[in-house]
Amino acid sequence: MLNLLWVLLGGYVAGILLPFCLPRDPNAQNLMTSVPAIVATSAGVVLGLLGLTSSEPVTGSLASTIPLLTLAIRLDSLAAFFVLTISVVGLAASIYAIGYLRHFAGRTSIATLGALFNAYLLAMTFVVLADNGFFFLLAWELMSLLSYFLVVTEHEKADVRYAGLFYLIMTHVGTAFIVVAFLIFFQSTGSFSFETFRHPGQPLHEGMKTLVFLMALIGFGTKAGIVPLHVWLPYAHPVAPSHVSAVMSGVMIKTAIYGLIRVYFDFFGGQFPWWWGFTVLLLGATSALLGVMYALMEHDLKRLLAFHSVENIGIILLGIGVGMIFQSYGLKELAALGLLAGIYHTINHALFKALLFLGAGSLLYATDTRNMEEYGGLLRRMPWTGLFFLIGAVSISALPPTNGFVSEWLVFQSLFLSFQIPTVFLKLMLPIAAAILALTGVLVLACFAKAFGITFLAQPRSAHARHAEEAPVPMRIAMGFLATFCVALGIAPMVVVPLLDRVVTPLAGISIARNILAIDGWALAPVNVEFSSLSTPVLALLLVALSLLGLALAVTLGGRLKPRRYKTWGCGINLSPRMEYTATGFVQPIKRVFSTIYQPTVKLETEFLDESRYFAKRRHFEFHIEPIFEKYLYDPLVAFFAALADRLKVIQAGSLHLYLTYIFVTLIALLLLAV
Amino acid sequence: MPVLSSIGSQLVNLCSALLLLTCFAIVAQRRLSACVDLFALQSAFLVLTATLVAYLTGNQHIYIAAALTGVIKVIIIPRVLKKIIDRLNVKRELVMYVNVPAGLLICGGLVMLAFFIAQPIIPLGSLLTRDSLAIALAIVLIGLFTMIARQKAVTQLVGFLVMENGLFLGATAATHGMPLIVELGVFFDVLIAALIAGIYTNRLQDAFDSVNTDRLTILKE
Repeated sequence: MLNLLWVLLGGYVAGILLPFCLPRDPNAQNLMTSVPAIVATSAGVVLGLLGLTSSEPVTGSLASTIPLLTLAIRLDSLAAFFVLTISVVGLAASIYAIGYLRHFAGRTSIATLGALFNAYLLAMTFVVLADNGFFFLLAWELMSLLSYFLVVTEHEKADVRYAGLFYLIMTHVGTAFIVVAFLIFFQSTGSFSFETFRHPGQPLHEGMKTLVFLMALIGFGTKAGIVPLHVWLPYAHPVAPSHVSAVMSGVMIKTAIYGLIRVYFDFFGGQFPWWWGFTVLLLGATSALLGVMYALMEHDLKRLLAFHSVENIGIILLGIGVGMIFQSYGLKELAALGLLAGIYHTINHALFKALLFLGAGSLLYATDTRNMEEYGGLLRRMPWTGLFFLIGAVSISALPPTNGFVSEWLVFQSLFLSFQIPTVFLKLMLPIAAAILALTGVLVLACFAKAFGITFLAQPRSAHARHAEEAPVPMRIAMGFLATFCVALGIAPMVVVPLLDRVVTPLAGISIARNILAIDGWALAPVNVEFSSLSTPVLALLLVALSLLGLALAVTLGGRLKPRRYKTWGCGINLSPRMEYTATGFVQPIKRVFSTIYQPTVKLETEFLDESRYFAKRRHFEFHIEPIFEKYLYDPLVAFFAALADRLKVIQAGSLHLYLTYIFVTLIALLLLAV
Repeated sequence: MPVLSSIGSQLVNLCSALLLLTCFAIVAQRRLSACVDLFALQSAFLVLTATLVAYLTGNQHIYIAAALTGVIKVIIIPRVLKKIIDRLNVKRELVMYVNVPAGLLICGGLVMLAFFIAQPIIPLGSLLTRDSLAIALAIVLIGLFTMIARQKAVTQLVGFLVMENGLFLGATAATHGMPLIVELGVFFDVLIAALIAGIYTNRLQDAFDSVNTDRLTILKE
């Protein structure tokens, strides 16, 4: 298995170095960087699968000359699962890049972009493989920095630079918290090895454990994008090249989920008080709801998807949080179920969110805009992209027979099982979380009805959309690849669940695959068949059968089937794209209902004809929603630090001599102190 | 051989004292080219000290360090500085933040301070180089003080190099020299620093028509 790791490493390194050997030809550079990435990610997929199925973790280590740093790796089932996720999405993104990078030819260096992308995937793989705290932080920081450079690919634009800076600051603040968490471990164990984190000589002090919990939650939470630390996602994800957005949103934010599971379940061995799980649950529910609500108001397709990442991270955390609650009450089977639901949603979200971002990239490629109000009628011009985007939209809306449905169903099941918890408070709270998840689900459906409808249906709303052409073949292959997985993971959960069970078993200490899978092997039944069960193949068959039935009824009972082609009747007026439902109009009712949260400001200016007030010449409509978190949390914080810096400016006189005097005085004072 | 050792110790102390003396001379000197000459002289004393220590302790690699000091600090750097002075046509320190008599008094105070601070450490040192440590510390402090008290970039550079000499003396005195690799690194650093500072002085002249570093305050927003 270590040989595969060398293949993976060699592939990525080749992808970093090879494109620079051909300085002139962008197309050759493109192939030289994408093909090694495809090889490396394929090796990663195999490695992940082997790691998932092998019974013993694979370890390896290289000593280094830097103190405390050992390049130790450990491929246990949890790491293998994340390697698999990273590699599948990375594979799709690399195939996609062959077509998509043409978009950048002449504007930026393909070689640099490709090399950075390879290095980024490599760093991410080592984040989940690392078995040493120092090594982990090194890979983590490398991953963050490389993604920053990828975000600012189009650095000639001011908004891209702003987004990059925002992301860089947020990710560094987050990393600082993770460093603190690891240092606490280091302080009590004297080593950075994960093995000693797992089995410290003497257990961590209770207060220290709580501190680690909070630090890890904030640190990893920043990367994951939980509310209110999510503010960087809607800036950074849209401006990155689309295949990078797919990887960032699909898997990079999942490395934070990996970190949380690693620390809480692996290092602490699942020993924690109930309120830890409850905090995670609460943050998950808030993120899920607020994420989708802000997504609804977005008309920039990639920003919309970025907000959905916040929502889906929320759903994943709901699963993990409820698992943690069950764990602290010793309900091991249920803990395993919650965790399994969370992990299942992790890979599902990786698949469909990457698919949607790739779809958005194809739209951007074809129309040169991210604004949904300028799309329209694209289904006829880009049928394949439309089909794959639809599959992604159905998955994220958690409709059968796709993967999103299965994992959200499992999250619901674990939330419903809260009646087994002995505390009344939690018995009350968990159904509320389930209700919030239900509300979230409905809003997601509305949001993607908007996203798909406004983008692909009706008539083109702009010249961009009128002249759009279907995406190149590699891009379609990549999207089709992910779409296939979305459907496969939805129809065949009985294959997926036993694999995921291998991840959960060492964490929760119990295997539940046999409990979940009904005896016939075709259905899922988390508790018992009477309480709830789900057979996705049957459901899929049912869906097909019902639609066939509808068609048959239409044929037999309906009138004539001969299609007549005619213009839509428009009350005698010629139809134009201006009469179409706009994205803004579509979400107007929702905006009204939740106006307390959105706090919208609407401005309507009408210019009348001089002759009569009854005829408007021109109307100008503007609406904004209040960025609550930025306004009430981040702006005051920034203002505070700016004020502090202003105070400090006094000692920064700009005089070299003064600075030297500072050093001199400090030196003398310290020397005198030492005596 | 207690006699040789005691004579050797006396000699080392003498050389160190000469180093310190040149420091005072640098503080008292207004002409820039003389400052550079004094620095070269100080470096020559440093070479002498290092050679003595190398001979008395039998540490071969201190010879190499001494030879390098001779090449870099006695020959190359003074030449570079002289060239800069010629090109810029700046001969004297005109305005000083601290005038010469006050500067000398402060330096005297710094020497006392250095001996006071080094007092608890001195008995721990080897017999040979006992007092050199305190002297080295005094040289470092005086070098730093020169950087603060003078305006011209060239003098500040000399102050920096004096500090470095002090550090080298300290290292030789306290531990019979750092590992050779570290010393090589330090020499390289000093050379580069002197070159960079030379370029920086030139740029300063071009930008402000002056090598007074206090003009840099106008770079502040």
